[in-house]
Amino acid sequence: MATAPKPQTGTESAEKEVLLRIEGVTKIYDGTVKAVDDVSLTVTKGEIFGLLGGSGCGKSTLLRMLAGFEVPTKGKIYLAGQDITNLPAYQRPINMMFQSYALFPHLSVWENIAFGLKRDGMPKEQIAERVEKMLGLVQLTKFAQRKPHQLSGGQQQRVALARSLAKRPQLLLLDEPLGALDKKLRETTQLELVNIIEQVGVTCVLVTHDQEEAMTMASRIAVMSEGYFLQVGEPDTVYEMPNSRKVADFIGNVNMFEGVIEEDEPDHVTVRCAECVHYVGHGISGHSGMSVGVAVRPEKVMLSKNKPKGDYNWTEGEVIEIVYFGAHTTYHLKLASGMVLKAQEINSTRDLSCGLTWGDKAYAHWSNEAMVVLTQ
Amino acid sequence: MAQSKNAFLNFFSGRKLIIGVPYVWFILLAAIPLLIVLKISLSTMETASVSNMIDWSRGWPSLTLNFSSYQFIASDALYVKTYLSSIKYALITTIICLAIGYPFAYFMARAPKHIQPTLLMLIMLPFWTSFLLRIYAWKTLLVNNGIINNALMSLGVISEPISMMNTPFSLIIGMVYSYLPFMILPLYANLSKLDVRYLEAAADLGTSPLKTFWLVTVPLSKAGIIAGSMLVFIPSIGEYVIPELLGGPNTLMIGRVLWDEFFSNNDWPMASAVAIVMILLILVPMALLNKSQSDQAEIKP
Repeated sequence: MATAPKPQTGTESAEKEVLLRIEGVTKIYDGTVKAVDDVSLTVTKGEIFGLLGGSGCGKSTLLRMLAGFEVPTKGKIYLAGQDITNLPAYQRPINMMFQSYALFPHLSVWENIAFGLKRDGMPKEQIAERVEKMLGLVQLTKFAQRKPHQLSGGQQQRVALARSLAKRPQLLLLDEPLGALDKKLRETTQLELVNIIEQVGVTCVLVTHDQEEAMTMASRIAVMSEGYFLQVGEPDTVYEMPNSRKVADFIGNVNMFEGVIEEDEPDHVTVRCAECVHYVGHGISGHSGMSVGVAVRPEKVMLSKNKPKGDYNWTEGEVIEIVYFGAHTTYHLKLASGMVLKAQEINSTRDLSCGLTWGDKAYAHWSNEAMVVLTQ
Repeated sequence: MAQSKNAFLNFFSGRKLIIGVPYVWFILLAAIPLLIVLKISLSTMETASVSNMIDWSRGWPSLTLNFSSYQFIASDALYVKTYLSSIKYALITTIICLAIGYPFAYFMARAPKHIQPTLLMLIMLPFWTSFLLRIYAWKTLLVNNGIINNALMSLGVISEPISMMNTPFSLIIGMVYSYLPFMILPLYANLSKLDVRYLEAAADLGTSPLKTFWLVTVPLSKAGIIAGSMLVFIPSIGEYVIPELLGGPNTLMIGRVLWDEFFSNNDWPMASAVAIVMILLILVPMALLNKSQSDQAEIKP
């Protein structure tokens, strides 16, 4: 699901040129509503940065401040070292691909793409050349003379991309770029979009509520909630090492156990929960007696009919729901404590031979390295 | 037999009946009267009555057409001049209404949502007073010893009254005043639906607010501009009351010619011919406009 993990050598990112710097940006509406709360962020050149969060988390407001449609109540925004906080939208070397595209309905595809270039007073031949190039890039050369309403959703999306790239912006903003497409089209378009962006080499800030979209497309993501960042990191880091219950819960599915640390050793920790005792194969920064959450992803939970060996990392329950997805099946196990544990089994053969059915007793177990201990 | 009775019943049931009502309405109240006017315009003074529509003198029904009224309209320079002058005044009225109405509608559409109904109400408020009264009120404002001249003279701006009454100026003022709401309402309806994302997209692509207005807002409100202009232009051409009360004897408008033909000369064929030509003058440009618009919508590569 995630892009290949990149080596995490802190020095490397420091060497890269910082393109966008956001410093303590706050946006307050009507004097009371804090849409964005003291957010700071740097985005390096060539990066695709994803802002991920539910509706009303402030991600769109932040994007609109980058585009210049909103002015921050507090804080500064720098682009390539220049303060652009109060620069109006039409003077910023930033272009945006709008949610549901906002293509001008009275203009043809060609004129839509040329719109920004004409405003810059570019000579006619150069405009024609650039528009042709853009049309080629998004494979819409044949459709140049059509009006937006004569195109399919996927084609409109590509026109919107071409229009936002035509001026060669320093920064490209994508607002829910795939939100208006159906699922199948979305998967192919995701990769196509990333390919085009990488081909052009433009730095991107992407806003989405779809975690899959953020993880496939972005090289780094920020999980946003109530106007601030919960966690910023590479997609695999955020998925496998969430820093809080909120992030673990927002990104993907998770089984959350609540418990207390019993043993706290440098090489392992045990956490006693109502359902089971977790044996975590690494040390954590906590102390015995501390209340913690233990998060286990459903795909890391294995099911069997036989009781697992040992005292740790297993529990038992009754199968109350079987959700078949084709490639995998999710089993819902009702535990004695009342908690419903989800386990995702890959359907590696065609006979679905896990052998479990509704009402069966089953044991769920997981490895020492499957879980994340969350202190907040 | 039974089948044909069923078909007869079907025809008068449900769907067809509902579709039929507007057609009947249209035929009875628009098409037939128009045809009668057309026929009268092609009659002579003696035969110009509804009972004489169809000529039975030869023993069978026939239509006797007489084009003398149209020939007269074409040959008499006064009619041509009056048509042209009507179109001129209607055009000036439309342009002024658009120039005043567009910004008016624009700011109404951009006003806070909760005061928009009040603004709309204010636009329609004058309709609560009689049209005649409102036009007559302008007379008291514009005459030589009227309110405006008196005020300007007492302020010392002018030493003798400006003659505004019974000039093209007073005519245009009256027409613009009366027809402005018909321009504002369709424009407001259109502009209040304008998606601000288009304006943001234009700004995002480097367009200043003023340029955005000309390149995005105006083209996208084309339908409203056309609707408003039609609603002002068409009734303005045939306007009778305003030129009669405010225009004076020198402003030629076809509505007054029509009145004279009907009620002074009692020449019904002539009056009908004048009316038919006026309808054609309005219909032809409208049909052309309609066609160009539907052609544009059908353009495909």
